[in-house]
Amino acid sequence: MSQYWPFIIIGLFTGSIYGLAAMGVVLTYKTVGVFNFAYGAIAMFCAFTYWQLHDSWGLTAWVAMPILFLVVAPLLGIALEALYRPLTGLSAEVVIVVSVGVLAALEAIVPIIYGSEDRRLQAIFPTRTFVVGSHFHVGYDQMGTLVISLAVAALLWALLRHTRFGTSTRAAVDNPDLADMVGVHGDNVRRSAWILSTMFAALVGILISPSQGLDVNQLVLVVIYAFAPAVFGRLVSLPLAYIAAMVLGVVESLLSKYANSGTVANIEAAVPYLALFALLVIMGGRLKEAGASSRRLSLSTRSGGGSGGAGAVRTRHWVVRVLGWRLRLDRNLALGLGGFALALFIPLAVPGPRLIDITAAFVYGLIALTLVVLTGWAGQISLAQFSFVGVGAFTAGHLSGPHGQHFLLAVLVAMLVAAPLGILVGLPSLRLSGLYLALATLAFALVMDDIVFNRGDVSGGLTGITVPRPQIFGVSFSGRASLYELVVVVFGVVAVIAYVVRLGPIGRRLQIVRDSPLAASTLGVNLTVTKLVVFAVCGMVAALGGAFYGVLQQAVTPFDFMWSTSLTLLLLVVLGGRSLISGAMIAGAVYGVQQLPIPASVNQYFPLAIALGVIALAQEPEGTVAQARREARRVMTVLRPLPRRSVGGGHQIPMTSGPDVAIAAGSPPRGSGHGL
Amino acid sequence: MASETGWEEPVLRATDVTMRFGGLVALDDVSLEVPAGRIVGLIGPNGAGKTTMFNVLTGLQEPTRGRIDYLGENISRWSPHRRGRAGIARTFQRLALFSRLSVHDNLVASWESSHPGAVLGRNRAKRIERVAEVMGLLDLWPVADRMAGGLSTGKGRMVELGRALCTDPRVLLLDEPGSGLDANETAVFSAVLQAVVSGRGDRHPDVAPPAILMVEHDMALVMDVCSSLTVLDFGSVIARGTPSQVRADADVRAAYLGDASAV
Repeated sequence: MSQYWPFIIIGLFTGSIYGLAAMGVVLTYKTVGVFNFAYGAIAMFCAFTYWQLHDSWGLTAWVAMPILFLVVAPLLGIALEALYRPLTGLSAEVVIVVSVGVLAALEAIVPIIYGSEDRRLQAIFPTRTFVVGSHFHVGYDQMGTLVISLAVAALLWALLRHTRFGTSTRAAVDNPDLADMVGVHGDNVRRSAWILSTMFAALVGILISPSQGLDVNQLVLVVIYAFAPAVFGRLVSLPLAYIAAMVLGVVESLLSKYANSGTVANIEAAVPYLALFALLVIMGGRLKEAGASSRRLSLSTRSGGGSGGAGAVRTRHWVVRVLGWRLRLDRNLALGLGGFALALFIPLAVPGPRLIDITAAFVYGLIALTLVVLTGWAGQISLAQFSFVGVGAFTAGHLSGPHGQHFLLAVLVAMLVAAPLGILVGLPSLRLSGLYLALATLAFALVMDDIVFNRGDVSGGLTGITVPRPQIFGVSFSGRASLYELVVVVFGVVAVIAYVVRLGPIGRRLQIVRDSPLAASTLGVNLTVTKLVVFAVCGMVAALGGAFYGVLQQAVTPFDFMWSTSLTLLLLVVLGGRSLISGAMIAGAVYGVQQLPIPASVNQYFPLAIALGVIALAQEPEGTVAQARREARRVMTVLRPLPRRSVGGGHQIPMTSGPDVAIAAGSPPRGSGHGL
Repeated sequence: MASETGWEEPVLRATDVTMRFGGLVALDDVSLEVPAGRIVGLIGPNGAGKTTMFNVLTGLQEPTRGRIDYLGENISRWSPHRRGRAGIARTFQRLALFSRLSVHDNLVASWESSHPGAVLGRNRAKRIERVAEVMGLLDLWPVADRMAGGLSTGKGRMVELGRALCTDPRVLLLDEPGSGLDANETAVFSAVLQAVVSGRGDRHPDVAPPAILMVEHDMALVMDVCSSLTVLDFGSVIARGTPSQVRADADVRAAYLGDASAV
């Protein structure tokens, strides 16, 4: 038994920090309904701030601590409350997007403010050890952390249990309007919750940094460990979350004792994520989202009001028959095909190495398209889409052969592997939606990182593997221009298929599953099949994109497909417009721009700008496109010549004039079947 | 009882349905029959268990105990979509429209959902015909291209009814269809319901005419269109019979007004 004790102590030490994080996450979820994906980033920001105050400026802990806990953390909490307040009552999707945006913004700000050199945060407690029993060493820092964590957790529990703040909180959570009427100020309660939660994050940051290193990504990742215990407490129970975190810490630590042999390597690192995934699948339908029933995508009714955006407002079009298929050629499709034709000539204009960056934009656009279909159209949020890209890239690397002559076969295999994986990610979606689905997919991405992509025989470890340029039917695509043309054609074909499918029965099916799954099922839609097929198909196409991603990079490492790359993808897609194919193209373009050889001093502002843009546009399903359309309309209104007669105005408002015409003419509804 | 319409077997029958949520008994041994060609009202005060009964009938909630038969077949273990495809259609008390689709596409999507193969583009002509018919019947053409999410409650209810009709249902479950309708809409609505159960324009003349089960608080509408009523209170059936019988029932008055002596 004695050989286990050190591991149990280490486990209790880390578990107690996860416990604090779990409580901080639960606190805002149960009081404000916001699950804070950015919690780790907030802890990280606070740890860096403390490093600046204490290690860099040399302030003593007695000065630095109060500044951190009584000034910085509360200010940050107040800012967050102000940011989320207008989102009350909106769909889970919007809140998730905003909190991922906050995460990205903080990750981007920290290097800008504090620089990006390596550093270590000194432990707040002495790192000496004392001996317990015969020969068993315990660190003062470990003991100190454990004691502080227990004390703070107990304090919070007592605060919520036995003070007016506690009862006010519960009242405000149960019924905000009623609470307001009896004199509980919801705003104050919410603000206090954010401040407390941020203070907890600060504590987590300075407790965990000395042992985990002060690194932007590492800290964010470590706090995700706390998501599983938080879910175990159903995101409402503080004590359950805390205890589960302790247990998780111990289990993880004990497993690490056995993890030195190659076979189970990394399993212990993946335990929290496996636990999160399993918990979500098992608890399934019993998990209820706060206020989910009354949530909307956007506070205004403008969502979907834009022309053509939701694919429902019919525009003028021509029906073209191609090989017995009815193709509905409308303005969007015509524009797209025109743009496609132009794109084919880009290599003439940009023959140099920059062509690779443009190719990269199209590859990324193809990957982004899968998320548009999955999230924007079918309403299934995924934080794991880049895992499929990884599957595609590594498969292409392994199976393409030395000269890429087996590229097609490799793509086929990659897609066949991706399909069942897609179904696996889709499984939680059968019983979960919104936040819980997002968490499950995040867990999936993290598991893929740790137990698949980290394997040397899959990814070649840290050095990665090479991916040859493809050869298809003897034609080599090793040249820049030929590879570009191949990618553009693949993107074009996929985009046109997606567009046509969108307007037909399948597109409608996806949208009704998004808008009201319950109603769709009573009408006869098999939700299980629909969701799993969408996840599988989107996974397969993402793997296809991944094969090209690999081909383009020529060498890929596990870092290329880390969990955070999926978050970046989500952000770019939201920025572009998550319900539009053009949104995916914008996502690709933004990615492409970041690949350009821009000085780091400028380039470091890109992620920040993207994150802020996403936070601003989170409620707008058509993202930048809608914004651009509004601006264009504004300009056009000013530039439009004064009307001479009002005849023909009907074209501007086809919604009301159309149907009357149809009835008058006695014709069946026009364009009612723009299907395949 | 159903023999007047020539069909012996009720379209839909619930037998001894009990639904418990923890300690709360939402439905307590509720049985009811919906005969072909009839409109049956399910009434009762708020919280009586009416919507829960609808959820059980459509398979959205699994009852603790009890059995559901549809056209003589035990469908207790069928999934919601299987029931939908078989001809059980419903509307929702809290509107569940496909809010980002146009009114017209709401109906189109409904037809496609309920007809096998339609999602792959089969039977397009039939779909266009049927959707146009329902659009005309419910006077929805003027709002055909409007986003369903931006409609008034009244229009929204009409769209939900249209969506249900597009599935060519054998039994229609309407959850408070009259709330939020203006006088004109209520009149259209009432006429449409009568037309549906009379089997006019029915797609399946060889089988029983459609039946309707409706939850409604608008007593004028209920008395007008229903041929029989079942009254629920606290999850139990407290009365059943013709509208006039039920209206005279002391228990019903007590349930609605709180105290029989106060009437």
